Amino acid sequence: MERRFLVAAVVAALAPVLPAAAAEPTPEQILAKYDAVMGPRTFEAHSSMTAHREDGSERTYVMRLLKSENDKFRVWFDEPAAVKGQEMLRSGENMWVYLPNLKRATRVANRDSFQGGDFNNADVLRVNYSADYTGKLAPTDVPDTYLLDLKAKTTNTAYDSIKLWVKKADFQPVKGQYFGSSGQMIRSAEFSDYRELDKGYVRPAKVLMKNELVKARYSTMDLSELKLAVDAPPQRFTQADLGR
Amino acid sequence: MRELLKLAARNLLRNRRRTLITLAALVLGVGAMVAVHGFISGLQGSLVENIAEGQLGAVQVHKKGFMANVLSSPLGLDMADSPALRQKMEAVPGVRGVTPRIQFGAMLSTPDRPVPEGREPTAAEQGKTSFFLVFGIDPPSDQKVFPRRLTWMAKGQPLTASDSDEVLLGVELADGLGVALFPHDAPRPPETERPALLAPDRDGSLNGANVEVVGTLKAGSPGDRRYGFVGLATAQKVLRMEGRVTEYAIAVNRLEDAGKVRDALAEVLGPEYEVHTWAQILPFLKELFGTQDFIFGIVAMIFLVVVLLGIVNAMLMSVLERVREIGTMLAVGMKRRQVITMFILEGLLLGVAGGLVGAAVGWVAVLVAARIGISLPAPGATAPSVIRPTVTFLYLARSVGLAAAGSALAALWPARRAAQLRPVEALQSA
Repeated sequence: MERRFLVAAVVAALAPVLPAAAAEPTPEQILAKYDAVMGPRTFEAHSSMTAHREDGSERTYVMRLLKSENDKFRVWFDEPAAVKGQEMLRSGENMWVYLPNLKRATRVANRDSFQGGDFNNADVLRVNYSADYTGKLAPTDVPDTYLLDLKAKTTNTAYDSIKLWVKKADFQPVKGQYFGSSGQMIRSAEFSDYRELDKGYVRPAKVLMKNELVKARYSTMDLSELKLAVDAPPQRFTQADLGR
Repeated sequence: MRELLKLAARNLLRNRRRTLITLAALVLGVGAMVAVHGFISGLQGSLVENIAEGQLGAVQVHKKGFMANVLSSPLGLDMADSPALRQKMEAVPGVRGVTPRIQFGAMLSTPDRPVPEGREPTAAEQGKTSFFLVFGIDPPSDQKVFPRRLTWMAKGQPLTASDSDEVLLGVELADGLGVALFPHDAPRPPETERPALLAPDRDGSLNGANVEVVGTLKAGSPGDRRYGFVGLATAQKVLRMEGRVTEYAIAVNRLEDAGKVRDALAEVLGPEYEVHTWAQILPFLKELFGTQDFIFGIVAMIFLVVVLLGIVNAMLMSVLERVREIGTMLAVGMKRRQVITMFILEGLLLGVAGGLVGAAVGWVAVLVAARIGISLPAPGATAPSVIRPTVTFLYLARSVGLAAAGSALAALWPARRAAQLRPVEALQSA
């Protein structure tokens, strides 16, 4: 008791002289930094997603992504031929997929699978964890990382809870575990290939998403090119623009 | 022994009122047991018929390995559909019909309600999307294999053609989506106002078709209510699986022959295919029936024990009334063993008579109920079906046997009481 009091007294006495930078960031601050890494305000990117299935088959989707502020997102699919001409649009809480043979957009949900792979639509088209989850710091088992325990704010989010390991130095994600409503882990992700994709902008160019329900299934998302300063006029993020 | 039997019968006839009351309890007990058993058998039978004639077929044919992988990617284990293959299966003795199907997971997405220009639709006006299990079916042959499903239509009409844009949905699913039924032949509205069927194709790429919901279906069995039907050709187009199917559902002439038909089909089709009966596809059903029978067995036992306790009581009364008489019998040289036998024979006679009449009453009740038919949904179903109670002769015989053995056993204690009497004391009692 006395010793603990002593320690507390020493810490209290030293506190004003400790440099401010050494203070632990709050979970909210870490989450905001993560969002800034994974979803900068605007960008245009080329990316490919490969879905591996348990029967050994795989399929690669080549697409172009365009993001604007306020949760606006577009995806254009180029390959394979079966999905050429398909497009996706996110505007705030609304998300649509446009199928050229239907000549119309159809609403899709955050939790729906993205092209039959192991990413869901929100994994690709919505990178705004600060808006969707509340975070708490938890003891981490990976050196030099923060472990964030995220809980969904609403039931419309992609997952009910997430464990996210973020590097202390630059807030780059290392790995993640994603849980469904029953508390069961449904996906796990590994982030790698940290690259400076645009001037001064570094992020993992490769994400491996493993299906924890059907262990033989996994998908990878590779960013090949990314530009931050792009022209993304608001009219590109409307239903009327789909299929144009 | 024959003398003892005669004595026992006479003793029973001496106090007719008591014997009749005891018999009535036995008749009621055994009769109720048979009738309830018949009703439960009828319920189980109607559930099986609903499944065989409305959902699965009596027998199903898949590509080898399908059932083992049914939860992961069944579209990959498909087979070429050809008239020749169907005819080969139709030629198997006992087969009543063959229909090709594709089972797949899909989403039905309804359009937003129209809103004035410049305003975003509110949450209530936005279209809804729901996951469901879809069966791509070939309407003409499907109706032959699944005649019962036509009686499950809640509203609207069944599918007309394999390549139509029509969809049937489970009634709960349709209500959840809030879709309005579309008349078969009405002109189609513009694309943006139509529901869409979206599904990953065989390779996992998203594809879709504009559809109209033309009918809703009640459920014929317990389980997930999120299911629907679409024309086979339309399903094949969405899944990019032209000319291919994932299963054949097969109807048989007699449901009891499903096992035989399965073996014959497996013989004809060869090792590339696997053939299962409905009971193999839904093994939990047999377990469910087993549990039901077990629970009913316990209830019936308790029932019978109560009735038998009544017999114990009646025979104890009879022993007390006949103390002097038993004393006399013992005094003139009747052996104690014979006294015991006499009382047990009395119990046995009661049991046989009560059991026979009770079983007959229960049987007649079952026959009448089966003749009329009880209109009631099968367990877990919302679609009404006619339940026809059945009971086997084996069960009738077992009930009579149980009643007889039980009554004889019930007589054991009163019989021992009687046999233990001392002749001198018994003769002196008032």
